[in-house]
Amino acid sequence: MNPDAAQADRNAAVRRAARAWKKSGAIDEATLAAIETAYPDDRARVGPVFRALLFVFTLVAVSAAFGFIWAIVGTGVSEGDAFGALAVIFGIGLAVLTEVQTGALRRAQGGTEAATSFAALGYLLGALAWFLFEKGDASFRTGAPILFVAAAILCAAAAWRWGFPLYAGAFMAAVLMALAYAPGGRLLWIVLTLVAAPVFLRLSDAERFPPSHRMGFVAALLVALAGLYFAVHLGSFDLGAIELMGDGSWLKPASGSRSLRWLSVAATALIPLVLLVLGVRQRRRSLLLPGIAAAIASVITLHVYRDLGPAWLLLTAWGAVAIAGTLAVRRFLDSRPGKEWRGLTAEPLFEDLEKEGLIETAAAVVTLAPEARQPR
Amino acid sequence: MNPDVANAIPRLVETGTLPPEKAATFVRVARRELVSIRLELRALLYAGVLLVTGGVGLLVKENLDRIGPAVIALAIGLAAAAALGWVWRVAPPFSWKQVPSPNLAFDYILLLGALLTAADLAYIEVQFTPLGASWPWHLLIVSILAGAAAVRFDSRVVFSLALATFAAWRGVSAARFGMDVLEASDDVVRWNALGCGVFFLLLGAGLKSNFRKAHFEPVAVNLGWLLVLGGLASGLGEESWALWTLALLATGAALAAGAFRYRRFPLFAYGVLGGYLALTRFIFTGDETLGCFWISTTSIFVIIGLVVAQRRMREPL
Repeated sequence: MNPDAAQADRNAAVRRAARAWKKSGAIDEATLAAIETAYPDDRARVGPVFRALLFVFTLVAVSAAFGFIWAIVGTGVSEGDAFGALAVIFGIGLAVLTEVQTGALRRAQGGTEAATSFAALGYLLGALAWFLFEKGDASFRTGAPILFVAAAILCAAAAWRWGFPLYAGAFMAAVLMALAYAPGGRLLWIVLTLVAAPVFLRLSDAERFPPSHRMGFVAALLVALAGLYFAVHLGSFDLGAIELMGDGSWLKPASGSRSLRWLSVAATALIPLVLLVLGVRQRRRSLLLPGIAAAIASVITLHVYRDLGPAWLLLTAWGAVAIAGTLAVRRFLDSRPGKEWRGLTAEPLFEDLEKEGLIETAAAVVTLAPEARQPR
Repeated sequence: MNPDVANAIPRLVETGTLPPEKAATFVRVARRELVSIRLELRALLYAGVLLVTGGVGLLVKENLDRIGPAVIALAIGLAAAAALGWVWRVAPPFSWKQVPSPNLAFDYILLLGALLTAADLAYIEVQFTPLGASWPWHLLIVSILAGAAAVRFDSRVVFSLALATFAAWRGVSAARFGMDVLEASDDVVRWNALGCGVFFLLLGAGLKSNFRKAHFEPVAVNLGWLLVLGGLASGLGEESWALWTLALLATGAALAAGAFRYRRFPLFAYGVLGGYLALTRFIFTGDETLGCFWISTTSIFVIIGLVVAQRRMREPL
């Protein structure tokens, strides 16, 4: 990010916090106005609804323009050549357009610059894929690692330059995918994620980085933790899921070693616990949430490997455990002085309760609505 | 941890912008010395409710012969009564205004009670067929019961469940926000979607204008417009597509204009998307090259229009 954009990003973080304080009633309108004057925002930003609309329409416009020009240019030359050349031109052009928007036009969280950056990466990678597989006639096993390395480089550059956290997560995913093709891919996944996770964790707090970069490190951390869990997971070990990408072997264990399998069993059980304990001790959502997700995955794994009873009983029992456990945690936290324990509380802290409620309502409609009757 | 906010707070206190007593809490939150896990707890409660209702659904399906229908119906009924009894006991007094939940679990136990009641009624209907050929009416009964519970205990989640069940009674799946209507070959579903949508819109308007649970209005109105636009859009592939397209264009434009006037951002988005879809249907005749040209150029105009509109919508009413 250029220095101007980084400063604007830091100011935006303070303004966002101040608006949350105002919404919870902790400060008044005059205080909010004073904070916004002290931390001005020179970026053109839009709200979430307009951001989504602008993102969609920009992507539609770019894709349709590509289709239109391809249809015209493609009539004179071979369709494949036209596609490759046009994808390179579009990719570079859109990257420049993103640069102009985030630089001279001072756009941030505006939807359009996110769409042009996304399309730029898509077209550049599409062009490389065309070059590798169509022009170069590379096999999938030769071409895919090159494509993943290129994706990692492009995503890292995009995350660093434009500050979109999603690309940082995509960078980590692309690195892992590329490593799957290397000999000993599973071991490389484990070693890399074990080394990278603490580094990303520390960088996500580093003051020298603007908030967008810190969020990028969190995104990369989440992917690294998911990668670590996947690499040590018993099911992935037994099915050889990572090895499938590298040498195409499928449905055979990653190794015949019984001790390695037992290590996998232990790791499948322990990683969620370690993440949860660290998450509670360090009060980090970026460890707590993956810990909860991994715990759920490990419980499901246990049921897949061991028949613990009828499904209806297990679902009901785990549901009751979730409800009772949550209530117990809530009661425990409420009983502590100041309603907090080791810095954790169940009380809301400047969160947008209205927005939360609407999301919950939409989720209820999607997940709980009954099946429609057949019309007569 | 948010070092930028943590650094800004002492400066704001020094300049007298922030009172020191408030700043202490703000700094603790910014430095991650105090973290709320409320969201995680709510997510776990929601997951718990989903698992229990899923388990009950399986119980009904798998154990009918072994346990017997009467026992199952009674057991689910007792579980529902226990949940609703607890809710009744801890619920604050009724008010037509928004009432804060007495505790974290309240909404979820209410939801569990409503879902178990619905499951029990559906089960009784399937097993004992008290409504005979009019079996779909049990969905209306569930919808009315859920609506009553939502109003009494002030739950928007249960209110949304009531609306979704009402739509299901008319053959429309609200879980897909009316999108299933697009695939329906049956005119009945389309008209039912339109009817449900209009009914929800009127309901929302009534709640708001009478100050009776006015905070339920966004739920009814959003679902209502999605069903109306989905219903109209489902006619774009019909023989009489021109009429449906014209209706979608007019409705989308009117919705966008109204939402622009009253600063309703999601409704503005529905209107723009619906209107644009209709306009494109009028122009697009099947020529792909022309279609690409039309979409690429008009999308740019839409983007410019959206940028201007969002600036205007930021201005006070």
